[in-house]
Amino acid sequence: MTSENKLVGQAAPPAHLAVRGIQKRFGGVHALRGVDFEVARGEVMALVGDNGAGKSTLMKVLAGAHAADDGAFLLDGQPVTVATPNDASALGIQIVYQDLALCENLDVSANLSLGDEPTKPGWGFLPRLLRPLDDLEMEVKAREAIDKLQVRTLQSVRAKVGGLSGGQRQAIAIARAVGTESTVVMLDEPTAALGVAQTRQVLEVVKRLRETQHAVVYISHNMRDIFEVADRITVLRHGTNVATYTTSETTPDEIVVAMTRGLDTVSDEGAGDAA
Amino acid sequence: MTILDRFRALRETQFGAFVPVLLALAAIWGYFGLVLPAYDVMTGEADSFRAIFLSPRNIYNLFMQSAVIATLAVGITIVLLLGEIDLSAAATAGVCAALLGVLVLAGVPGWLACIIVMGVGVVMGAAQGVLVAYVGIPSFVVTLAGLLGYQGLMQKILPTGNLNVGDPFVRGIARVLIPDMWGLALAVVVVAAFAFANLRKQSQRKAKGLELDSPLALWGQVIAFGIIVVAVVLTLNAYRSLPLLLVLLVALTALLGWISVSTPYGRSLFAVGGNAESARRLGMKVQRIRVSAFAIVGLMAAIGGIFGASRFGSVSYTAFAGGSLLLEAIGAAVIGGTSLFGGRGSVWNAILGALVIGSLGNGLDLTGASAADKLMVSGAILLLAVAIDAVSRNNAGGR
Repeated sequence: MTSENKLVGQAAPPAHLAVRGIQKRFGGVHALRGVDFEVARGEVMALVGDNGAGKSTLMKVLAGAHAADDGAFLLDGQPVTVATPNDASALGIQIVYQDLALCENLDVSANLSLGDEPTKPGWGFLPRLLRPLDDLEMEVKAREAIDKLQVRTLQSVRAKVGGLSGGQRQAIAIARAVGTESTVVMLDEPTAALGVAQTRQVLEVVKRLRETQHAVVYISHNMRDIFEVADRITVLRHGTNVATYTTSETTPDEIVVAMTRGLDTVSDEGAGDAA
Repeated sequence: MTILDRFRALRETQFGAFVPVLLALAAIWGYFGLVLPAYDVMTGEADSFRAIFLSPRNIYNLFMQSAVIATLAVGITIVLLLGEIDLSAAATAGVCAALLGVLVLAGVPGWLACIIVMGVGVVMGAAQGVLVAYVGIPSFVVTLAGLLGYQGLMQKILPTGNLNVGDPFVRGIARVLIPDMWGLALAVVVVAAFAFANLRKQSQRKAKGLELDSPLALWGQVIAFGIIVVAVVLTLNAYRSLPLLLVLLVALTALLGWISVSTPYGRSLFAVGGNAESARRLGMKVQRIRVSAFAIVGLMAAIGGIFGASRFGSVSYTAFAGGSLLLEAIGAAVIGGTSLFGGRGSVWNAILGALVIGSLGNGLDLTGASAADKLMVSGAILLLAVAIDAVSRNNAGGR
């Protein structure tokens, strides 16, 4: 019941990152059974599915955290290999995990350049790890990254991350992913733990990413958020594609039915009782 | 904002982290130096007001007594930043000091013996680091085993438990005094460099359009630093002079302080201590960082051993491995404000913490308190420091 024709519709923009026929097994569990997925620049592609549908596994495969057993990676149409997280980030694919992976004991600017700190020139004789940090440059870069995402509530890039709100932390984690010359940004449940105002803040940031021509993969359970930011929606079920919808041409009910029952029952029962 | 919130906010600032331990130090010095003598005068026990504790002679001894504790505490701070602990530091210092004594006795030149034991210290620390990082044993257990093993090793090296060290080079570290004028000149140069670095940074911030430090904080920081440095040198000059040992200790601390705050390596220490998983995902070599931190403790322990041997003119089992040095050093680091949970702290605070521990011991000695009293008071102070750490962490984290 794969539906190739529905996957790449007429209106689909040219894909920036595309994967075809991804297979992934964990021992006896066949987590991904030939999944196709794609996302274009300047597009927010939502990835939805019930628990165990393979969303997280697919995302980790895309990020290089799991190596796919089989399948093809295409970046702007060119075949590429993504076997490790370093491969993925070298290709400009960045992921923001649900736990954000920020260091709460460090300030915003330190977090944004962590692992790739600018150092002052003229100390080349020292090993890189012992060259003096250029913390002013770090703050300038942090300021730019924060301004680009228009996080207005953040007063100072010298504030410790531990003292920030959930929405601000999410924005900083996104800023870190975007800051490293990335073209594909994957967000795992970015609003799951946030209140109304903070969710709004994060959704604004996601829209900014679309405006800056990033390819955004947005994983969420929240239909309201998805219908607000996503351009297209890919539905997974039992490790395979159900379909890819254009957001403006579908309804939350249709998506929920596709998530829970798959495609073949949709036409029979129509938009059901779920929502 | 409650007082507690203000206190937490204060600790988050760069210089504010020193405030609690400086207040503790001021309270202890005030009590032993002013309150107790005044009480003695009022009750008629003493016929005149004599501030023995605050006399230049006692301050000099206090600094020298605290120097070995401070050296170890500075090293231990580095592993505490990672969220690990090293219980074997004092035993490592003991082994290194014993080895130093045996080497100079065998005719090895003092400078060479010092270099050899520093190398041995690094290896002893790194070996434990490998067990922690690559084998995955908790550092508490590894270094507890190290504590026992190294204590035994020290007894093997020193079967009599005591050895005099007469080598002029080794003894010179604690005996050489910087002439009064040179000491003052050094202090002025250091303060001027500190002021210059701060002002230059401020002007660069202005040029790049970044947030500025408030002038009050900036100048307050420079002036407070200047007063403390000059006052310390003048007080030491009033008794003898600035000892080379203290200059070495401050220079080592400055080096480690600079590495831990201003280099990518130091940043990685804080990152691993704050969120090891995040550091790993960012491509940091977490295991190597752990091993290197333990190597640094080993190095500082060896230097502490050298300082101790130099100051006492002898190496004894009780002065290092078998005594209270370990708990005093860990206590100093924690009292200084370095978190046992990792990711927060500073090597400079360790020196102030060592002064708190040293002052308590010294003050209680002067008032004729028993060893039992000293242990109980030290325990209470340590508990207070850890409680402050835990309370301020509850706020800072979310976890």
